Amino acid sequence: MTFRDRLIATIRAARPVLESPGVLVVGSEVPNLLEEGTAATLVVSQDLDIGVPVSQHRPVRDRLEALEEFEPSADEPSVWTPRSPGLLELNFVGIDPAQDPAEAYVYEDDRLPLLVFGALSLVSRGAEIEIEGTRLALPRPAGLLLEKLVTDRTGEKGERDLLVALAVLSVSTPADLDEVEVLYRGLRPDLRHVVRSNLTILSLLASRPGMPDPGPRRADVADLLRRLTAADPEAR
Amino acid sequence: MTPAQERRLREMRSRVLVRSYEYRQRRHARGAWYRLRQALALAKEAYLVPRSEAEKLVAEGHRPEPVGGELEPSRIIVFVPAARVARIAAARPVAVRLSAEVLGAEALALVPFPPGPGNA
Repeated sequence: MTFRDRLIATIRAARPVLESPGVLVVGSEVPNLLEEGTAATLVVSQDLDIGVPVSQHRPVRDRLEALEEFEPSADEPSVWTPRSPGLLELNFVGIDPAQDPAEAYVYEDDRLPLLVFGALSLVSRGAEIEIEGTRLALPRPAGLLLEKLVTDRTGEKGERDLLVALAVLSVSTPADLDEVEVLYRGLRPDLRHVVRSNLTILSLLASRPGMPDPGPRRADVADLLRRLTAADPEAR
Repeated sequence: MTPAQERRLREMRSRVLVRSYEYRQRRHARGAWYRLRQALALAKEAYLVPRSEAEKLVAEGHRPEPVGGELEPSRIIVFVPAARVARIAAARPVAVRLSAEVLGAEALALVPFPPGPGNA
């Protein structure tokens, strides 16, 4: 069974929550879903991140009963583990558009508590796609790209997450990059610095099997870095 | 809040504290790493060159990157057009990366990416 098969099967099994109002897929599977034919060639993690706006928590909670092929993890109730090895984990994360991007809190709930990461406040609802009968919403590329770049990235996982940012950058249109700049200008100076710093790290990463190679995309990274630097009086 | 969630929140807040420290340090020694990475990120190609050749480049008017002088020992890092690097017989191309070769170089000639999206 390929990773793509598992991803598609997971989406099918998670349909009740994926089609809940306001919910969107976030995280490393988004580039996989944006690939031609949902090719899913980027194996970064073994889970599907499901973004739940805190304002929409109740309807999602009410649909959990319908998730017959998953069960909540004992030690991390925002993670639902599959009952079969042919599926990926579901990782529910909270989205609070009013939150500071550098902060995080727990949305307390006895059934589905959510870690609400502030960087996800940059993510907003984008295109809807249909995958084998399930309609799901993806984030707008600009917000997702900035979310990946504004989050601290350390170690092996951090580097893989930056390669997800690269994958998002590779599918971004000029209009998306205009939107990145607008969102970037709205960030505090320290967060803008993190974005630029992560771009420099991304540019210098070595290629990894199964992941996008930064080499051929370094020019795009340099261009975005130059553009964001020029847009930022603190950076010049 | 579960212990796992508490641990993840604590880890995230620790990273934010480190980040705040690094941001405050950005114009000081700690920021040199960022500035070095920035110079390399804007370089399409990098070449190890003898210091004497780098000094010639500076004498010709190519501005050395300030970050070179912030490192110890100091080194010359200078952006130059590809055609100029081609005239340096001793120039040796290296991968644009934070490698031992790049970090140990006494002088680096960097060829910039041309401006504009996707100009590889």
